[in-house]
Amino acid sequence: MLHQVLQAFETATGPVSLDELSRELGIERGALEGMIAFWVRKGRLQDSAGPGCGGSCGSCGAAPGGCAFQHAGPRTITLLERGTNAPESG
Amino acid sequence: MSAASLHLSAPPLRYAPPIEAELAYLAGVLAGIPALAQVYPTRWLAIQLLEGDDMLLTEAERLGGPAVSAALEASLARLHPLYGDDLDVALVDQRYRFVHSLVGTALTRPATPPLTLSDRIDQVVTHRWLGIPIFLALMWVVFKLTTDVAGPFVDWIDTVLSGPVSSWIVSLLGAVGLGGGWLASLLVDGVIAGVGGVLVFVPVLLALYFALALLEDSGYMARAAFVMDRLMHALGLHGKSFLPMIVGFGCSVPAIYATRTLDSRRDRILTGLLVPFMSCSARLPVYMLIAAIFFPAYAGQVIFGLYLTGIVVAIAIGVLLRRTMFRNQPPAPFVLELPPYRLPTPRGVWRQMWERTSSFLRKAWTIILATSIVVWLLLAIPLDGAGRFAETPVEHSAFAAVSGAATPVFAPLGFASWQTSGALLTGFVAKEVVVGTLVQTYGVAEAATVEETAPTTVGEDLRGIVTSFGTATVDALKAIPGIVGITFSEAEEEEAPGGLAMAIQSGFTASSGEHGALAALAFLVFVLLYTPCMTAVAAARHEFGSRWMWVSIIGQFVVAWLAALLVFQGGRLLGL
Repeated sequence: MLHQVLQAFETATGPVSLDELSRELGIERGALEGMIAFWVRKGRLQDSAGPGCGGSCGSCGAAPGGCAFQHAGPRTITLLERGTNAPESG
Repeated sequence: MSAASLHLSAPPLRYAPPIEAELAYLAGVLAGIPALAQVYPTRWLAIQLLEGDDMLLTEAERLGGPAVSAALEASLARLHPLYGDDLDVALVDQRYRFVHSLVGTALTRPATPPLTLSDRIDQVVTHRWLGIPIFLALMWVVFKLTTDVAGPFVDWIDTVLSGPVSSWIVSLLGAVGLGGGWLASLLVDGVIAGVGGVLVFVPVLLALYFALALLEDSGYMARAAFVMDRLMHALGLHGKSFLPMIVGFGCSVPAIYATRTLDSRRDRILTGLLVPFMSCSARLPVYMLIAAIFFPAYAGQVIFGLYLTGIVVAIAIGVLLRRTMFRNQPPAPFVLELPPYRLPTPRGVWRQMWERTSSFLRKAWTIILATSIVVWLLLAIPLDGAGRFAETPVEHSAFAAVSGAATPVFAPLGFASWQTSGALLTGFVAKEVVVGTLVQTYGVAEAATVEETAPTTVGEDLRGIVTSFGTATVDALKAIPGIVGITFSEAEEEEAPGGLAMAIQSGFTASSGEHGALAALAFLVFVLLYTPCMTAVAAARHEFGSRWMWVSIIGQFVVAWLAALLVFQGGRLLGL
């Protein structure tokens, strides 16, 4: 089952929504989240809850939670090649 | 209080026979170590150790001594030929299979799961053919909101700052014996013209941030990214590139940092080169000022067109770079979370509007104020012995000389005056400064009229401010139905342009051979496409290095220059 998730990422031909993936694989959304979290820990997937800000635009101090513009990005999960290091987060 | 007890039979979860054998062996070894057996269930601990839990291994070695690691190494050595480095994958996978089969026997699900409201909305909003038109229609509504609804409040703040506030400062300085000197000039022509000229656009930004907050909090923004990703992917670009671009509608700096979500350095650089073409909110005041002067009846359409041009240019440059400098980079598919649609809360929307607007206000009192003072200083310094400090005609100032040197570069684009060249030069610092500099350099005549108007009392001024606010509110409310094309009143007559608008209009007309509107459009396209600001340049250097920073600056300048040339010279050839 875990390999099925990776395979779905490898064979996807465009962006897929998490619900769509859950339906395609016949895996409960909650279980799928757990599997994704496992592969993220293993370094095969990268889960980004939202783009981060380097904090040096000079205007971030006005926002208590950091950059005021960073909320716009949705969560994405990407396949990483074996041995690829996830890019450092902001 | 009563306590319930629940007895569960041992779950029939069994791993593959080789793993079970090693679990039994390890559990036996661990059971023989009382310090461990008293604290942890031995089978559970054996599973954790085989899965490679380092923290538990350290704890087990501390309590159980070297016998634990010796037994674990022996087990791992026997399992390695069968599972390689994926023993933990095999263990976790078997648990998921067990849970999946258990759920399958305990739960009966409909063959086709019922669609939720979010699913039904998504069927339309993320539709292959309808998705992009819906995205464009929503963008259209956003820009009508920023121009038509916020417009009356822009006029109101402008009237207040250039009228009562300016005359109060002049009167106050006169009362303390500092009237008419360089300090009055600094405050009125430097601070109020420069910073005030930018602050008048706060209602526009509030309207933009209101619309963005609604789109983000409702969950639509994720759908917009999804729809555009599909288009980008179809064009051979990395679909994920559009995510930083969405952030770029707000500000280019976090958008450049958002490229970190891309996996390969080449993809990050490519997206970092495209992000500045997206029209950030700092450019909106420039669009508003110029569009209101040259295209008052079509300001919304012009601004919408500029935003669209930014997206099209970014995608076109992306496709070009992907086929030249960034070849052999297959785009990697990804999964995107589409959260369920939510009704935005007034508190959440207000929080986002305030956070973003206060960022802008902070910038107004730091970067924009500092640049306005530098521009005022250069405007006050006489060259060629023309006048004295702060009393020189602006066309003989140091700023005019410095800006004039850059004018030949912009001559083919139709805006060859020192005022526009100066505004574009200071615009490197921050895009809002373009407005401030235009107001400072063109606004001299208007500033003069402040002193010429009949004197009023503070009470009269305050009454005027309140009355004009009421009028602005009524005008804004009347404009709301107009967003969807409904008008309840007759079209009002266009107001005669004020002193500043007339000065800008005649400046563009004179420098373009009587093609003022075309030159203004070329100017807007240039502002859209050249370097967003100094901080974005610093962010590009930080993320991609000096070499790519220069590629970005020069590339954006060349693209902006060529696009503005195409608009101006192309328009002239078409007889516009």
